[in-house]
Amino acid sequence: MEIKNFNIWYISSFLISVAVAIPILTICAGFFENTSNYYSILKDTFLFDYINHSLILLMGVLFLTFIIGVGTAYLVSFYNFPGSNFFKWALILSFAVPPYIYAYSLTAFFENYGTAFSILTNVFGEGEYNKHIPKMDGMFGAIISLSFSLFGYVYILTRASFHYQSQNLIDLGKNLGFSKNKSFFKIILPSARPAIVAGLSLVAMETLSDFGTVDFFNVSTLTTGIYNAWISFDDLSLANRLSFFLLIFILGLFVLENFSRKKAQYHSPTKSGFKSKTLIKLDRSKSTLAIIFCSFIFFASFIFPVLQMLYWTIIFPKHFNDLNIVSLFINTGILVLLASTVLITFAFISNYGNRVTKSKLLEALTTFSISGYAIPGVILAVAFISFVAWFDNTVVQYFGFKTIKTIFIGSILGLISVYFVRFYSLACNGIKSGYLKINYSIDESAYLLGYSKFKTFKNIHFPYLRNSILLIGLIIAIEIIKELPITLIMRPFNFETFATTAYIYASQDLLEAAAVPSLFLILITSTFILITSRYTLRD
Amino acid sequence: MSKNFLEIKDVTFEASKVNKVHNVSFNIEKEGDIICLLGPSGIGKTTILRSIAGLTNIRSGEIILKNKILSSEKVHVEPENRNISLSFQDNCLFPHYNVLKNIEFGAERNKKKKQTISTEEIIKFLNLEKIKDKFPHQISAGEAQRAALARSLVTKPDLLLLDEPLSNVDQSFKEEIQVKLKQILTEHKITTIIVTHDSYEAFYLGTKCGIILDEQLKQFDDPYNVYHFPNSVEVVKFLNRGILIPAKVTGENSLESVDLGKVTGNFIKHYPKGSEVQLLLQPEDLEHDDQSNLKLEVVDRKFRGTNFIYTLKTVGNKLIPVFVHSHHIHQHQVDEKFGIKRPINIDHIVCF
Repeated sequence: MEIKNFNIWYISSFLISVAVAIPILTICAGFFENTSNYYSILKDTFLFDYINHSLILLMGVLFLTFIIGVGTAYLVSFYNFPGSNFFKWALILSFAVPPYIYAYSLTAFFENYGTAFSILTNVFGEGEYNKHIPKMDGMFGAIISLSFSLFGYVYILTRASFHYQSQNLIDLGKNLGFSKNKSFFKIILPSARPAIVAGLSLVAMETLSDFGTVDFFNVSTLTTGIYNAWISFDDLSLANRLSFFLLIFILGLFVLENFSRKKAQYHSPTKSGFKSKTLIKLDRSKSTLAIIFCSFIFFASFIFPVLQMLYWTIIFPKHFNDLNIVSLFINTGILVLLASTVLITFAFISNYGNRVTKSKLLEALTTFSISGYAIPGVILAVAFISFVAWFDNTVVQYFGFKTIKTIFIGSILGLISVYFVRFYSLACNGIKSGYLKINYSIDESAYLLGYSKFKTFKNIHFPYLRNSILLIGLIIAIEIIKELPITLIMRPFNFETFATTAYIYASQDLLEAAAVPSLFLILITSTFILITSRYTLRD
Repeated sequence: MSKNFLEIKDVTFEASKVNKVHNVSFNIEKEGDIICLLGPSGIGKTTILRSIAGLTNIRSGEIILKNKILSSEKVHVEPENRNISLSFQDNCLFPHYNVLKNIEFGAERNKKKKQTISTEEIIKFLNLEKIKDKFPHQISAGEAQRAALARSLVTKPDLLLLDEPLSNVDQSFKEEIQVKLKQILTEHKITTIIVTHDSYEAFYLGTKCGIILDEQLKQFDDPYNVYHFPNSVEVVKFLNRGILIPAKVTGENSLESVDLGKVTGNFIKHYPKGSEVQLLLQPEDLEHDDQSNLKLEVVDRKFRGTNFIYTLKTVGNKLIPVFVHSHHIHQHQVDEKFGIKRPINIDHIVCF
């Protein structure tokens, strides 16, 4: 019978979780609302295409990210070859390139009279090269773009799992007389399975949430359907109903991912019995193959889009001069600073509330509310607007107050609010995992030394979690800088970030103009990723 | 107003459905007394400490410290307001501070008190000088336990609670620390409740010992009495230092056993002549004598450094432990006959 405190921490934690859960509840409620006739038309025509395209895209991306992510993670974790240490961290730089920017680079390079054509002309002289250059557009282009930008999830989680596999496990395989291939498929791969599934689930969620890439390649998926229902048909209810379908789909993946992560604890490294691995030195021919594979992935996922953007920036300096870089920096910086401060503060309060009160209700509510990360930004933005509109029309008007729509829609406050719902799980889980390392009896020791709950929070938890907070702040910054659909929908008029500027140019077919903001976006996020890798890739 | 320093009045301690201790009552009469609680794992000893510290609510009864109710069905003083220090079994040092800073955290609480134990004093006393600048992950479990003990001691609490304080300390170092611990607790008159598995530790440190068995406080008495005058078969079995053999009371100071014949001594409790009883026989009650005509078969022999413990089989198939000094020349092998000195005289006879 532990002490239950229905106190300020409980109330704060409860309110935070409820606030985060509101857009999710709005989507569920939206399913039962009346929609315009467009829904019945859609049901008989495009709905099947939306679902079909979403599934094809998902399968293609999952297949490619599995091959790339697990393949590279396996090579750098088990083998020693020239450059293996470099590739360990270099491969995560792919995170710096959002799929939509990758899509711009891919198109720019392979399109008729694009960069590939220019290179061939410069090297071999004039010729009919266009018909020999493969076209990376439509569904194929979307799968390639998403795979090369998202394989990092599989790579990071699988590499961590491989890294913590004990040498004992590998020795056991040898002892049982397994060949290297058999060891890989019977021991190494199955024991990393939860990590691989977790990585693939994240890739799946990101793929289904993607808006920029599929919109650019004109692939109609559920996400673009939702966007069109709202923007083109002005039918919020229909957008909510489509969102509900997608939400069910994503929640299925979310459950799968959670289930897999629960299993992962059986594979978690323990101090006792863990023996670090001796990396196998590859002979010359195998080393060459490993270097070629890793170099190709690194080049294709990071160097290629950077070079493409750099190339355009250099040959079209006009766009660089036209762009108000300082203003984009300031706008992006404001969003990052505000969002990370709000997210970390509230996640801290909520976690501490859960810890102090030990309430199961509160914990369940928090778990539900963090599912916002699984919901595409477009859906969250639409749901938020729906909720504000409903609240304004019913509650605010009932009391005769001034409308609140202008406060929350098309404003920084509204934008931060939706970021909050979308990225709350990042902050909440980040702080939670930090807290899991603090034994509860540490808190009790502090109480017994006369420290109040607030003093314990200030003097014990905060200093201990300082590094975790920094890491979470960096991850949130990376996500917000790259984020597109929420910013696009919720931002105030004429308020642009690097991401929205790149999108607007690209949607006007001005890819060379999109290069400058894209390049800046990649460089900023790369810097953050390199700092973050100090924590995440620590061997 | 009660004269007792601490009163545990009919308290039911409960951590879970399976971990509870019912209707516990005991007092600590004066400041500076040391109480040791003994009992098997999972019986609820830690729950008792946690409840006294205020980390767990009590089900019923009252905990009163210095005439102030700390816990009852209606009252619950928060842990940070009790001035009770608890040293956890798993040490719980703050991982991001070094040993010195951890200890200073404890000292901060009572910096206004006149008679506090200084940080330097406690560091020297518990041999922590070499590790004071190290972080918890850089020291051994035993060192961490001593550091946690130091942190608890410098708070100069009204009541100090120690949960298995020396369980991780090296055997070679344990006795030295036990002596130092007793010295510092006595010198500074720190009233303490210690939970331990080690009965020798409890008997050495405690002014009183409590035995917790079957969800109850079975016995609360001086260590000598707990050992020599256990009040129930359960306590005998728990202390595991003797066996019970059937016997018949034959007079004011004697009884007759099928296994050993006539046994004399002082009964601690009166039994009418002719009563059928279970006689408690402890290893030191019997003496070895090769010339004796009472010969029992050796079924096992354990070498314990200073002594051997022979296990002997009686005619009634009872297995009796007997201590023999290890310098004893004649070492008996298994299956050999082992002589028991007669007449058997036991200083105090305990029967059930």
